[in-house]
Amino acid sequence: MSRYVGKPLHRVDGWAKVTGQARYAADQPIPDLAYGVLVTSTIARGRIRRIDSAAALATPGVLGVYTHENLPRFAEQSPSWVPYAQTLVPMQGTEIRHGGQQVAIVVAESFEQATRAAGLVRVDYDAEQPTIGLVENLSRAYTPPDGTPGALQLRRGDPAAGLAGAAVRVEVEYRTSINHHNPIEPSATLAVWKGDDLTLYESTQSITFTQDAVARMLGLPQERVRVVTPYLGGGFGCKGFVWPHTYLTAAVARLVGRPVKLVLTRAQQYTSCGHRPASVQRLRVGAARDGRLTAITHAVTSHTSRSDIIQFNPIAATQSVYAVPHLEIASQVVEVDLGTTIATRPPSGPSNEALEMALDELSWALEMDPVALRLRNYTDVDPSAPDRPQSRFLRECYTLGAERFGWPRRRPAPGSMRRGELLVGWGMAGAQHNWHPGVAQATVRISTDGRARVTCGTQDIGTGTYTIMVQVAADGLGVRPEDVRAVLGDTRFPPAPSSSGSATATTVGMAVRAAARATREKVVGLAVADPRSPLYGAAPDEVATVDGRLFLRADPGRGESYRQVLGRHGASVEASGGADLSANAGPSYGAAFAEVQVSGVTGEVRVTRLVCAVDAGRVLNPATARSQALGGAVWAIGAALTEHTLVDRRYGRIVTANLAGYLVPVEADVPDIDVIFVDKPAPEANELGARGLGEVTATGAGAAIANAVYHATGQRVREFPITPDKVLAGWR
Amino acid sequence: MNEIRYVRASTPAQAVALASAEPDTAFVAGGTELTNLMRDGVQVPGLVVDVNRVAERGIEWQPGRVRIGALARMAEVARDTGVRHRLPVVSTALLASASGQVRNMASIGGNLLQRTRCWYYRDTALPCNARVPGSGCPALAGENRWHAIFGGSESCIRVHPSDLAVALTALDATVLTQGPGGARRLPIETLHRLPGDAPHRETVLEHGELVVAVEVPATAMAARSRYRKVRDRASFEFALVSVAVALELRGRTVRDVRIALGGVAPRPWRAREAEDVLRGERLTDAAVAAAGAVAVRGAVPREHNAFKLDLVSRTLAGVLGELGGGR
Repeated sequence: MSRYVGKPLHRVDGWAKVTGQARYAADQPIPDLAYGVLVTSTIARGRIRRIDSAAALATPGVLGVYTHENLPRFAEQSPSWVPYAQTLVPMQGTEIRHGGQQVAIVVAESFEQATRAAGLVRVDYDAEQPTIGLVENLSRAYTPPDGTPGALQLRRGDPAAGLAGAAVRVEVEYRTSINHHNPIEPSATLAVWKGDDLTLYESTQSITFTQDAVARMLGLPQERVRVVTPYLGGGFGCKGFVWPHTYLTAAVARLVGRPVKLVLTRAQQYTSCGHRPASVQRLRVGAARDGRLTAITHAVTSHTSRSDIIQFNPIAATQSVYAVPHLEIASQVVEVDLGTTIATRPPSGPSNEALEMALDELSWALEMDPVALRLRNYTDVDPSAPDRPQSRFLRECYTLGAERFGWPRRRPAPGSMRRGELLVGWGMAGAQHNWHPGVAQATVRISTDGRARVTCGTQDIGTGTYTIMVQVAADGLGVRPEDVRAVLGDTRFPPAPSSSGSATATTVGMAVRAAARATREKVVGLAVADPRSPLYGAAPDEVATVDGRLFLRADPGRGESYRQVLGRHGASVEASGGADLSANAGPSYGAAFAEVQVSGVTGEVRVTRLVCAVDAGRVLNPATARSQALGGAVWAIGAALTEHTLVDRRYGRIVTANLAGYLVPVEADVPDIDVIFVDKPAPEANELGARGLGEVTATGAGAAIANAVYHATGQRVREFPITPDKVLAGWR
Repeated sequence: MNEIRYVRASTPAQAVALASAEPDTAFVAGGTELTNLMRDGVQVPGLVVDVNRVAERGIEWQPGRVRIGALARMAEVARDTGVRHRLPVVSTALLASASGQVRNMASIGGNLLQRTRCWYYRDTALPCNARVPGSGCPALAGENRWHAIFGGSESCIRVHPSDLAVALTALDATVLTQGPGGARRLPIETLHRLPGDAPHRETVLEHGELVVAVEVPATAMAARSRYRKVRDRASFEFALVSVAVALELRGRTVRDVRIALGGVAPRPWRAREAEDVLRGERLTDAAVAAAGAVAVRGAVPREHNAFKLDLVSRTLAGVLGELGGGR
């Protein structure tokens, strides 16, 4: 029964958010709160020679200054990659491995006092010259060992022969820059101890990870740690794992014997919770005259921290989207003295953008329409997993997107669509994102007043999880959405996975569905067994439930309300349910069509139209889904045109560590974005028919923009972001 | 954060007296700049003197000129009908600045006196000769894509970030001040110092000297004027390069012209030689190209900002084209 799933229900948490009633982690009204402020290293590599806290300790309001010299050892000294991401445990010794590494925490009565004192902690370093910069250090690139996250080495067929036999070959190199997640809410931890019990109000994409990691780090049984995340102001990957500031705050709160709140400054946000590494991507693509691909080789090199060897620009689409007989994927890393790299909205974005730019270059070499080239190489079967059942509606993405955009009206010649000084270009690209569902539990309780409460230890990272839970529970029970309340973000609730990898709506949705159905069965069971019920004696499967009423399918007039059944029962009814989708990971697809205007004078690029067609299975809520698709597309605009983290090579210091230096797109950079959902169920994914949605538009729109820049100007800019200087370079 | 004293002055003379009486003082009007600098520890005044009640806020039209109070908010000036029609370069420069929220708060005087956006200046963990004299300039061999190609020295290659100052330079505006030594009238071009070997001295103002107003000649040239700002992001960003031009044509012949460049120097950069190339000439593609070439003569590019030369020439050509009614 699908009465509310699939409908554009308004966000159930929208009112609380726009009226300021939604309390985020740092907003919790905790009495007797003290404030923590981090001191971070000003060098990128070397050792602390001396820390002098005396001046800080002498300032008013300071409750404690903690450094490696007085902070107790954590129980984990070399923790596992998951759930920590950063295996370097700071403030346990003198070694500095990246700029912005935590070296001290000051705790004071007020934030201002703590900030002032933090500025007075004197740290002397023995600095070493850091290694910074991917391109500058490409000669140090190496192939990391098997099992390194994100590092795929794959060979199919005979790529050399495939390239040699190609009528047309493209050999290109693309570069993408360091990106930072920049959620509007900085990471925050509020640690409250009661005896040996710890409650953390945390801005995290995973309360489960946080509970596990903090308990292990502090040597506590897991049940002594409660993590609460009622709302999240965006995460985009930087809150998907557990970073040191979280357990450091918990530790110092215990030491000062007060609740402590620590919020990263915007600048600290650039060094405390990961980043997307820069990449150099080399592609060779060969095709027959008719456009049929003969071979692709795709090699990606990313920088990684010295502490955590990860290749965080994974290649995902190249091996799975197109029918190409000969293929080689190679991944390398270069170690630099930066902090840990991490998934960034989404990790596979840059590699997919590179593939889709290379295919665009091939289409020009072949003098073939880029949509036609992709259709020529279409396959319904994922060549990297031919046995995996898959409903793939990528073809529909191309055709629906092209139609909406008006693609057939494109004049192919570069520079042929001019409006005054503005060069107009149209470009397109495919999108693909592997989503990673998991295992979740949920509980649904319906009370004697007929109202239901659904609980799950998931978190709503701003994507609409509250709303999806309400919709799914309403359908599962057969009640109205306004009679369902969703509660989440607390480890006291049944566990759910990290809200990352576009996993949550499906994983949590399936768990809620199971719990709601189980609850409904119990109530139906009560009714049919109760002689006072009009449904007495009916077989449970003859009973339907719609909008709060239980009735016989064959005789809808015979029935009663949940409230009546439960009123007689005199108690609420509750059931739990779970879902394990961990075997159901797979791709979602899309296509992006972009129009840009490039100033023929200044080289400035502006996106004027963007159409994103998405195949993510069945859409659970077109309103929240559209918002997610828009968000992904905006990040793609940012990565393609504006966003760029700059690191000073000598100091290893990020010089763009604020929102004036790191340019996320603003309203004026974002055109009206047209989102089309194919909206066909993916039955192999789960009974809801939905796949991951959150990140797929961020894997194609950037390439569509870059391809449009080429169409506008006839110049190929192969480095993101495409800034005016790079466009001008082609004109000199 | 340090403890500061805050006092609200009630007359200009009192503001000047308060600010000049001790060494670490700062004026505050809109606060959009000073609060950021204080939060980042770049400026640490012991006393903040609020001038919101003391200086002029009006926009006063007089014969042949306009007097804009230093406390007028950017948004007020940008939407003033007279400014829009008679000094379009000023309103377009203001509207290209910051964001709507910032423009509602930030004052004209404060805008002219904002500090460089050089990230080395704004990060107290790094050396900077302008912030800590003698500590060094990492921009010279560092991340200098945004830095100066004119007017820098081996001690500093900062860029002044004000759009308004560039527009006012093209109009030969005058800055009116009141200081410990009395009232002064400063041609805007002389307000900001080039760094030379004393990059920490950013303006010619005395300690405690207050900007009270700006006078702008409302000439025929000013009425045909335009500001164009080039940047990576469509809004809410500082200029890579900007160009302000005021032009007086007779037929197709340039009777007079003023050109000021932004995003290229520690102060608004007047391109007098380019003006000379154009003055008296027909506004042809060749003349515009010649002016563009002359405008970047003497530029000293660094590792990451050589593109600015080409960008200046191109943008200047674009603005002249717009003002000349198409070429």
